Amino acid sequence: MKSRKVIIGALLVGAFFVSACGSSGSGGSGSGESSGGRSGTDEGIKDGGTLFILDHSTGATNLDPQRIYTGADLGFLGSTITRTLTSYTPVAGKAGTQLLADLATDTGTPSEDVKTWSFTLRDGVTFEDGAAIVCADIRYGVSRTFASEMTGDEGPLYATTMLAVEGEYPGPYTATADQQAAYEKAVECSEDGKTITFHLKNPVADFNYTVALLAFAPVPKASDTADKYTLKPVSSGPFMIKSYEEGKELIMVRNPNWSADSDPVRKPHVDEIHWQFGLDESVIDERMIADAGDDQATIVYGGLQPENLQTVFDDAKFADRRTDGFDGFVSYTMINIKKVPCLEVRQAFWLALDREALRTAGGGPFTGEFADSFINPLLATDYTPGTVTEGVNADGTPNVEAAQAKMDAAKEACPEVHKHATEEGLRFDHGQSELWAKLISIWIDSLGAVGIKIIDNAIEPSKYYATINKDPGDLMRAGWAADWNNASTVVPELFTKEGGFNYSQNWEDPAYPAFSDKVNLAKAEVDRSKQATLWQELNQYVLDQAWAVPGSFTKAQNLVGSRVRNAYPWLPFGWYNVGAIGLAE
Amino acid sequence: MLIFIARRLLFALALLFAVSAFTYVIFAALPSDPAALTCGKNCRPEVIATNRVRLGYDKPIVVQYGQFLNGIFKGRSYGVSEGVHCPAPSLGYSFRKHQCVTDLITRSLPVTASVALGAFVLWMLIGVGLGTMAALKRGRWPDRLATGFSVVGISLPTFFVGLLAIMVFVIWTGLLPFPRYEGITSNPAKWFMSLILPWFTLAIVSASSYVRLTRNGILEVMNEEFVRLGLAKGLRRRTLIIKYVMRAALLPIVTIAGLDFAALLGGAVITESVFNLPGMGKLSIMAVNDSDLPILVATTLVAAVFIVIANAFVDILYGFLDPRVRLN
Amino acid sequence: MTNTTPLLSVRDLHVSFKTNDGIVKAVDGVSFDVANGQTMGIVGESGSGKSVMVSAIMRLNFGTDVIVSGQILLNGIDLLALPESEMRQVRGRDIAMIFQDPLSALNPFYTVGYQVAEAYLVHHPKTSKAQVEAIVLNALDKVGIPDARKRMKSYPHEFSGGMRQRIVIAMALINQPKLLIADEPTTALDVTVQAQILELIDSLREENNSAVMLITHDLGVVAETIQQVMVMYAGRTAEYATVQDLFDTPSHPYTQGLLRAVRSFDQSTRGSLVSISGTPPSLINLPEACAFRPRCSQEMGPQSACATQRPELRTIGASQSACHLSADEVSRVQREAFSK
Repeated sequence: MKSRKVIIGALLVGAFFVSACGSSGSGGSGSGESSGGRSGTDEGIKDGGTLFILDHSTGATNLDPQRIYTGADLGFLGSTITRTLTSYTPVAGKAGTQLLADLATDTGTPSEDVKTWSFTLRDGVTFEDGAAIVCADIRYGVSRTFASEMTGDEGPLYATTMLAVEGEYPGPYTATADQQAAYEKAVECSEDGKTITFHLKNPVADFNYTVALLAFAPVPKASDTADKYTLKPVSSGPFMIKSYEEGKELIMVRNPNWSADSDPVRKPHVDEIHWQFGLDESVIDERMIADAGDDQATIVYGGLQPENLQTVFDDAKFADRRTDGFDGFVSYTMINIKKVPCLEVRQAFWLALDREALRTAGGGPFTGEFADSFINPLLATDYTPGTVTEGVNADGTPNVEAAQAKMDAAKEACPEVHKHATEEGLRFDHGQSELWAKLISIWIDSLGAVGIKIIDNAIEPSKYYATINKDPGDLMRAGWAADWNNASTVVPELFTKEGGFNYSQNWEDPAYPAFSDKVNLAKAEVDRSKQATLWQELNQYVLDQAWAVPGSFTKAQNLVGSRVRNAYPWLPFGWYNVGAIGLAE
Repeated sequence: MLIFIARRLLFALALLFAVSAFTYVIFAALPSDPAALTCGKNCRPEVIATNRVRLGYDKPIVVQYGQFLNGIFKGRSYGVSEGVHCPAPSLGYSFRKHQCVTDLITRSLPVTASVALGAFVLWMLIGVGLGTMAALKRGRWPDRLATGFSVVGISLPTFFVGLLAIMVFVIWTGLLPFPRYEGITSNPAKWFMSLILPWFTLAIVSASSYVRLTRNGILEVMNEEFVRLGLAKGLRRRTLIIKYVMRAALLPIVTIAGLDFAALLGGAVITESVFNLPGMGKLSIMAVNDSDLPILVATTLVAAVFIVIANAFVDILYGFLDPRVRLN
Repeated sequence: MTNTTPLLSVRDLHVSFKTNDGIVKAVDGVSFDVANGQTMGIVGESGSGKSVMVSAIMRLNFGTDVIVSGQILLNGIDLLALPESEMRQVRGRDIAMIFQDPLSALNPFYTVGYQVAEAYLVHHPKTSKAQVEAIVLNALDKVGIPDARKRMKSYPHEFSGGMRQRIVIAMALINQPKLLIADEPTTALDVTVQAQILELIDSLREENNSAVMLITHDLGVVAETIQQVMVMYAGRTAEYATVQDLFDTPSHPYTQGLLRAVRSFDQSTRGSLVSISGTPPSLINLPEACAFRPRCSQEMGPQSACATQRPELRTIGASQSACHLSADEVSRVQREAFSK
């Protein structure tokens, strides 16, 4: 799962998501987690009223379900206007990652080889205009994912990689009749329109989690306005969009055609949700701290500013309103194996990088904890503390001696790479920001201590991924969170050739084929605990090969209004279950 | 006079054309690939290539500019399939905002116009009022007060005044709700309330230079021979100040005010940001952050158009106000 | 001086300005009289205080940094003691003024007809529109504006310099003032027009039986029309005499210098223009000495009265002169300088 801002490669500060991880089962390096106190409970909720959301961004990233791919939006819009075949249990803590049937009557029926999945629609599920949601609506919605010229490839592409569509399928707008027929063979509707069957290219044991992504949500064909659909999607949830003005406000009101009986996931309390855009970040913080008037019924899209953290966390009066916890993301540095095909140099890099200095410059322990894995501890099933390269200091400080030893070894083992790293220098791609302007000197200095030369390449954030996709550097900064509670959305995405976010070109490494084979094994493994073990081993494999170097499990802090209740962090999404938030008197 | 106006308008029209071409070329010359910007984070090269064709960015710049102009007069469709159509006058389509740029502008412009108009009236009242007071009471305490205000106002950054106003009136005292823009047609009272702070913020900052301009202008005119002659004729001091001094002293201020107002219509970037007003300034900032080229071209163009129009308007107004201008 | 009760009688007039550098004594104890129907000339270089003095007579000085003392009696009434509302009645009605530069003296934003009418209306507010128009037309006709009915709708910038000055004169005389103050009325004009304007002023003076105070820095041009002349230097009266006496027997070395300049200009078309060397003194903190001493051709040495005392105005021959020279010394100089 991508984040709105974090993904830009500057993960160390200003992480966007709050997750006050109520469960203590995540283990690992997890400490300093705290729940939101009273605001996370339903104490004194009175139905009705308006919930306000303050947002620094000038608008929603996307409202079109097929284009939504940020954790907060998936949870927020999923809990309010967009229903999917399956969804997650609306509770705090680890129980929240439990899959629930939503539009479907159950969490899906796989074939034995898990290459075919069927879901049957519930009775009485409707769109906001009262029209019943049928199989064709879901099939049409999913088909929109293929129309990359319309969606700009913004949403998750699982449908395009997993569905067994024969030949090219360009999406519903430009497909020929034959192409459309091929697609409809892969996504089959029963005659009564009640059952939808997905035929997959390869076995996918957790496909029922995949369909919980909003990319698998229904869209009524008649209402599709292509590119403009993202401005006013048709609701299937308890709220619907009344008005949306970019830069100003999005107003959601209750959907009269939604019935609680048909929906086991959503339990709305407020009448309206006003999502206000374009506010100055420091003004937002001041208002939240002051907690006056409507701001008492307010949550914030985005974290607290670093300069206000001490104020909020040193004062007990904020205890009921503040949250601090992992946001589900791991920051890491991807290493281009094609350009640095030398394990010793990669390990030397890891040993020499002064992660402690970087964290301090970025805001200190509030920003996160040093990571020992690419799998976040929040993925409790799949996480196990990783074994880092010998000599890497747990406190994040560099181990120059060990790093130098690796460099010396590299000079023997792979002199060309050693020369490249020390003479030409390694190009380091990262998002351009004020913070990174400060951080880069730490990179240059700490790596320079062992002779590794860093060539700074700051890239304009909005072009970051497009740029490194086209022209990857030697080192690339990135961040990632799981798309659902399974490392199947982490390890393959980041480290297989088919993965959407693999910039390491590690398929050039002789060590790759063994890894790839094992990933395919893990993907098809139906036994969840066996699968978890495989993910742990694969994660360790990456660490051992140093295809990438983990940075931090990032954290975020937030403050809600004093009347806000039920604002618990919803684990699958790293943000509140916004649709469930209620207000106390 | 009619010939004067006609000539002035013709010149403005030519200027507008030149400005539009210039703006378009400047932005096209930027080293960014507008097609790549239409694409999300997964962004495969095929998608970029399709979008490039779809948006016409594969064509030479002259052709692109021609299409752009054509869009303004005839409307234009964007995209190859299931394309969106923007009716005339179309300034482009934003694939980031999924809207016709003209729609975005027509939505933002009233906001900025509301901010600009109120602030303009206020700052002219404050600036010219204080400046006149200072000039008439030169050397005495009202003069020092006004001059002091001017010095302080000029040295205070807008965002500081704005944030201070929010802190004092909204967060600390709660006298006003946090400003949230309402259209004047939908709720005039809320519209007014939401704009009080931005108006004053902008007015205080901008009035400062007008205090000085007015004060110096009046003092200068007061030394003019014709003012002494007016006094020698036996005219009342008040008549003299209004008919002789103010008229002459305010004339150059009309020019500056006209251009300042026009510039403001292009977007009061900082004020709009601080007070969260979805106006032209905000739109431009969004566009810069998103590298949203179509919007940038349009907002720049609109801002330039206002300046050109204001220039022509001020010139023509000058012709009415100053008989000396008409002949030239 | 004059044998009738003077129309205007200025007594010990002081005008000072406060500046950052100190107090500027622009006019420093000047007294003179102007009789009805008389033309009086005031001559001096720029900076001698003559324009400041006439502004003080009209009380045209805005602002608080001007200090005026002494008496300005118009028909026996002290103008300096009048409240502003009454003084306003005097301006334009009893005393009118013509300025040096007719373009800057006319308001560029109003038609000349409007401005002339305004001068009349301000003192005759209850006049009908038609009447005013007739009066304005008449006034413009009188000063020689051709096609006045049409031209009165024109703006000042549409007239030539001479025409503008005629309009200013029409404006000044429209209320038939008792005293007309002309502050260098021809300086900004072409030489050919200068005489016309002076003639016009003089003929209108005669017609209205007004008195005229003609301020100039140029003795030569105005010799014919003036009866009484006051020469000013550094804010003070240097010499006061009839025009005849002044030209024939100038008593003050400064006057002599001025006359020499005029005559040499008349006589030699080529040769160098004899002027008075040096520049007028700064009026801030003038020393207790003759202000003209640094430029004086007759300077008497450091121990003389010139270096220690400011000369008072006293009768020397036919003139009154502020000079320490004795009458004999003056005659000797006159003979040497003007023997031809």
